[in-house]
Amino acid sequence: MSSYKFKGHEIQGAGLGLRSSHYQEIFDTKPDVPWFELLSDNYMSDGGLPIIRAEKIREDYPVTLHGVGMSLGSTDPLNTDYLSKLKALTDRIEPTYVSDHIAWVSVGGKYTHDLLPLPYTEETLHHISDRISQVQEFLGRKILVENPSSYMTFDSTDMTEAEFIKGITQRTDCDLLLDINNIYVSAVNHDFDPYEYLKGIPSDRVKEIHLAGYEKMDNYLFDTHGYQVHPPVWDLYRAALKQFGAIPTLIEWDTDVPSFTTLRQEAKKAEQQLKAFS
Amino acid sequence: MNLKEWQEAFYKGIFDPTQENIQHACHGVNGTENLSSEDRLGIYRGSILGGITSGLTGIFPVCEKLVGEQYFTQMVSGYLKQYPSGSPDLGNYGEHLPAYISEFEPAKELVYLPDVAQLEWLWHTAFNATDINELSSLPFRPVSELAAIQPEDQALIQFCLNPSASLMQSNFPVHQIWGVNQEDFEGEQTVNLDDGGVNLIVWRSQDFGMRIDVLNDDELKFLTAIQKGKLFADIAGMTFSLPISELLPPYIQMGLIAGFNLGKQ
Ligand SMILES: [Fe+2]
Repeated sequence: MSSYKFKGHEIQGAGLGLRSSHYQEIFDTKPDVPWFELLSDNYMSDGGLPIIRAEKIREDYPVTLHGVGMSLGSTDPLNTDYLSKLKALTDRIEPTYVSDHIAWVSVGGKYTHDLLPLPYTEETLHHISDRISQVQEFLGRKILVENPSSYMTFDSTDMTEAEFIKGITQRTDCDLLLDINNIYVSAVNHDFDPYEYLKGIPSDRVKEIHLAGYEKMDNYLFDTHGYQVHPPVWDLYRAALKQFGAIPTLIEWDTDVPSFTTLRQEAKKAEQQLKAFS
Repeated sequence: MNLKEWQEAFYKGIFDPTQENIQHACHGVNGTENLSSEDRLGIYRGSILGGITSGLTGIFPVCEKLVGEQYFTQMVSGYLKQYPSGSPDLGNYGEHLPAYISEFEPAKELVYLPDVAQLEWLWHTAFNATDINELSSLPFRPVSELAAIQPEDQALIQFCLNPSASLMQSNFPVHQIWGVNQEDFEGEQTVNLDDGGVNLIVWRSQDFGMRIDVLNDDELKFLTAIQKGKLFADIAGMTFSLPISELLPPYIQMGLIAGFNLGKQ
C-alpha cells in the first residue's frame, strides 16, 4: 500500500499512544501530532473495525507498532501464528518501528499478558538473542526491544541490565526503545543508580524513548502507566537526551486514560525538552 | 531449576498460589528486608490479575457493573484458573466466561448473568469481525451476483450472514438489561424479568454500525437455517407465517445477508 503520505517516514518529536477513547477526536480535529504509537496486539484481527481505524489514522500520521505478544524471553517456541499476523499488520500499516520487550509473557502456551522478569545470565542472553534474531528474520526487519520495569531480581543474575541489553544489541543488531520511567522504577526497586545505567547503554542503538507515570507504593514503585510523568523521571530524561540526542519520545498512558487534551499537554512537556537538545 | 522450569513454577505461583507453589516460584528470587521474595511474586500477581481483569472489564462492562468490581475480580481469578488465556491478544480472551459464570456458585442468583455475558461477548466479536468491504478474505460471493444465477441453480443457493453476525436466545429480556446499563442510557432504569425471553441477532452493519436486533420466532428460525448453510430449496420447504419472498429481501437490503455460495444437490 503505497498510498500513505508518510511512507518510510522518520519520526521525530513527541508522539502519543493511540487509545480507542481518542479516535473520534483525532478523526474530527486532525491534531498536529508528530506520530502515533499503536498497540500491535489490538490490531491482529484481520479486517475488523480496529484495523480499519488504524488505517485511517495512518493516512494522516506516521505510526510505530508496540506490543507485548512476542514473549521474547519465554522458553516456549516462538508463536509463529502471532508473528504471521504481525507481519501482515506491518505490511498493511507500514510502521516506522516495530517494538516489544525484554521480558517473557507466556509459558506452556498460556499467556499472562504481562511483562515478566528474566535472570540476567549468559544462558538467558543467548536464549533471548536467538529469539530476537529469529523474529527479525521472520518479519524481514529490525525490531526495537524495550527495557522492562521490574520488581524481582535473581541469585543467578551475573550482569547488570544495561550489560544484558548491550549484549543483545551486539548479538542481534537490533535497536532499542529506552523506557526512562522503567529505568527509574527498577532503579528504586532494586537500589541501583539510574544515571550509571544510562552510561552503559550503547548510544547509537536508541531509536525511541518512552515516558510514563509510576505509582508510589509503600515499599516500591509500581509501573501503572496511569499518571503524569514524575519529576525524577523528567530529570533522568534530560540526562538521556544529553547522551543520546533528541530521540523521538512517546508518552504512555494506559490506565485511567485521560482526555486527549491532557495527554497532549504531557507530550508538549517532552517536546520542550526535545527542542533544547536538537 | 533451569529457565523453563522456573517460568512454569512462576506461572503456578501466580495462578494457583498454594504455599508449595509460591515457594517453588520464589526459587532463586532475591528478597530484601522491605520486600520478601513472596511479596515480589505478589506484586506480579496483582499486576497480572489486574491487567487481565481490566481487559475483561472492557469486554464485559455490564457484567462488571451488575456484580460490582470486587465480585467481578474474584470471578475472573477463578475463570483464569479453569480457562487459561491461550492467545497473545487479550481481546481473544473471554469466550468461555459465560459458561464459567453459569457454573459459578455465588452468581447463581443472578440467573440472567450468563446471557448478559454472552451478549457482551457477541458484541465484542461483532466489533472485531472482518468488514464486508474486505471481500477478498471472505468465503462467499456478493449478493450483487445473485441476478446472474441460472434459474435451475437457484435451489442450490446458500445464503451467508454478515460475518459479524451471531444469533442468541435467552429466557430473559437480556437486551433490555444490557441497554439500561449502557453509559449513555436515558430513560426508565428498571427491567421487568417477567417480560420473558428474547431472540437476538448481534452484528455490525455497514451503514449503521453495531446493532442488536430482536427477532420473532419465525425470523430466528429463518436466520438459523441460513446460518446452518441450508440450501435455498430446503428453506423454501420450511413453514413460516410470511412467504420467503417477503422474509428475505429486507435482510439482503440491510446487509445482514451479505453473500451466497452455490451448494451441492
Ligand atoms: Fe514502555
